[in-house]
Amino acid sequence: MDATDLYKHADTVNELLARYGVKFGVYKNNVFNEQLFPFDAIPRVLEHEEFALLEKGLKQRVKALNLFIKDIYSHKQILRDKIIPEEFIYAGSGYLAECDGVMPPQGIFTHIAGIDLVQGKDSAWYILEDNLRVPSGASYPMIARDLCRRSSPKTFQRTDIDDNRNYADLLRRVMDFVNPGGHVAILTPGRFNAAYFEHSYLAERTGAHLVNGSELVAENDHLYFIDYSGRKEPVGVVYRRISDEFLDPMTFNSNSLIGIPHLFDIYRKGHVAIMNAPGNGVADDKGIYYFVPKMIKYYLGEDPLLQNAPTYLPYYKEDMDYITKNFDHLVLKDVAEAGGYGVFFGAKLTLKEKADFKALLRAEPRRFIAQEIIDFKDIPIMEKGEAVPRKADLRAFVLMADEPLVWHSGLTRFTRNPDSFIVNSSQGGGFKDTWVLSH
Amino acid sequence: MGIISLETTNRLYWLGRYSERVYTTILLFSRGYDTMIDGPQSDYATFCKKLDIPDIYTCCDDFSTDYCFNKDNPDSIYANLVRAYDNAILLRQDIGSDTLSYIQLAIYEMNKAKSSDAPLIELQKVLDNIMAFWGMAEDNIGNEQIRNILKIGKRIERIDLFSRFKRPEADISREVNRLTARLVRTSIPYRKENIDHLNDLINHFPINYAKIIEEVDTVLEE
Repeated sequence: MDATDLYKHADTVNELLARYGVKFGVYKNNVFNEQLFPFDAIPRVLEHEEFALLEKGLKQRVKALNLFIKDIYSHKQILRDKIIPEEFIYAGSGYLAECDGVMPPQGIFTHIAGIDLVQGKDSAWYILEDNLRVPSGASYPMIARDLCRRSSPKTFQRTDIDDNRNYADLLRRVMDFVNPGGHVAILTPGRFNAAYFEHSYLAERTGAHLVNGSELVAENDHLYFIDYSGRKEPVGVVYRRISDEFLDPMTFNSNSLIGIPHLFDIYRKGHVAIMNAPGNGVADDKGIYYFVPKMIKYYLGEDPLLQNAPTYLPYYKEDMDYITKNFDHLVLKDVAEAGGYGVFFGAKLTLKEKADFKALLRAEPRRFIAQEIIDFKDIPIMEKGEAVPRKADLRAFVLMADEPLVWHSGLTRFTRNPDSFIVNSSQGGGFKDTWVLSH
Repeated sequence: MGIISLETTNRLYWLGRYSERVYTTILLFSRGYDTMIDGPQSDYATFCKKLDIPDIYTCCDDFSTDYCFNKDNPDSIYANLVRAYDNAILLRQDIGSDTLSYIQLAIYEMNKAKSSDAPLIELQKVLDNIMAFWGMAEDNIGNEQIRNILKIGKRIERIDLFSRFKRPEADISREVNRLTARLVRTSIPYRKENIDHLNDLINHFPINYAKIIEEVDTVLEE
């Protein structure tokens, strides 16, 4: 694949991305700034066969995660069978007692899963994280692809690549599948949210209404959208882009001004689908990640097709011993943090910090996980006209309708800092399109 | 997408008003500034008075810089463009990414003009983008109600500004006719008595500009 033509026009594509408002918001020192998300025109290319394997593994994983959440909020069989210790469920902030016994429309909890993977230098793929609450990022490669096809049509004529501009169609398919009847709304906390571009772009592309909490009202166990003349139209799906705790002040955080009072009551009665389902955090906790391979075996009776990064839980004595002995070779992650925060490389800590950290692990064994540092495969990015190697991850998207649907693309995020593994946009990273070859 | 919320209606209306305010005030400013090249340098005070904004400027040069480009000055053209953007950015799904992009481009051009050696001539590019925005809105927005609400905002703002600058009667008359035609095509609540009164006013000469401003600014119901 010759990317010369693509990066020749990279500046134009970046200008067009700026023109279309492809940005994300960042709060720094209490000041909100919108930043452009730097796009690198050299795509990450995934061979057809390679992606076919990933696709199988991703479907398997998300199926199991969906069954796990369903089980946790109903029979809790996996706890009874002692596959996962109870404290990993009830002590985590992701478990919501309010969701106990609530079955969402079509039994789907994980409507959109953002699964973060990295490829090691040995070319093996490792799952780093499952994002099952409000994963974002699909809109960026989608719009970038559209612009790249315009900037370099010949590249796309010469290369058979699966079209990724169908993400909105897949999303709409999920929305329609779970819709008990009514309009589809995307609930946004507003333009100062980091992913606001995505909220508005997906609303445009799916034909959903982009709304804030004050535009929807609960009445007689149904949810309505109110127009300017006071006319009410039923809403069947809320693709929420706000966290569980802010969804409904009557059920969760009573101080929430961005949620919809009584939304949860309507959801409980099955009159509205909430995408993703409230309470999903129970399954994407970094501590629970450790158990996903066991879940796959437990619920599907299959061996996992995709592997986790080797992970240790200080909760288990043998793991704690391993962590203590191999501290300098491990990365430690606070299970409550996200966005690249709460990540500590053992080798980079001072002697005192190491001692303090080990004491903290003993005091709060549930709070951290430790992982072997995966030496990611570098991929090239263009910098000042030259291709330079950088670390990158891949967020794959799996949507759940009548069957799991894997989007044939993904968000490739890279670090611009040659010494860093942190690829998050909030920490200065950029993004690439992800090509899946058709043959 | 046959349903439009009150919030969206409000944003569309103000997007129409602010984008028109930017467009027309750039034109009015350019004409006013041109007369100051040869005439009295303090004429900007009259300009401020007509717009009913405080004259906080120290000289003609300060006026031309601050009124056009100081986004912290709430009366500046820049601040009004930011307000247009603040509404537009919340309307992507209603007006479309392509239409929205021209407001974004106008912001970029405003920033470029601000740091240019010849900032006033560069404002032409802001005008071009506002015009393109309106063209795209006309061409690209399928929902007639959305187009109507945007244009009602635009017409109300234009009648207000034209009246403040005592534009010829024919100009005001044309805009009132356009507003009337647009209002009857929507189901937005408006005060019919104001529209009737406006139509009377444009048929009485000399035109009572102050009364027109009063009527047009209260034509929509809260």
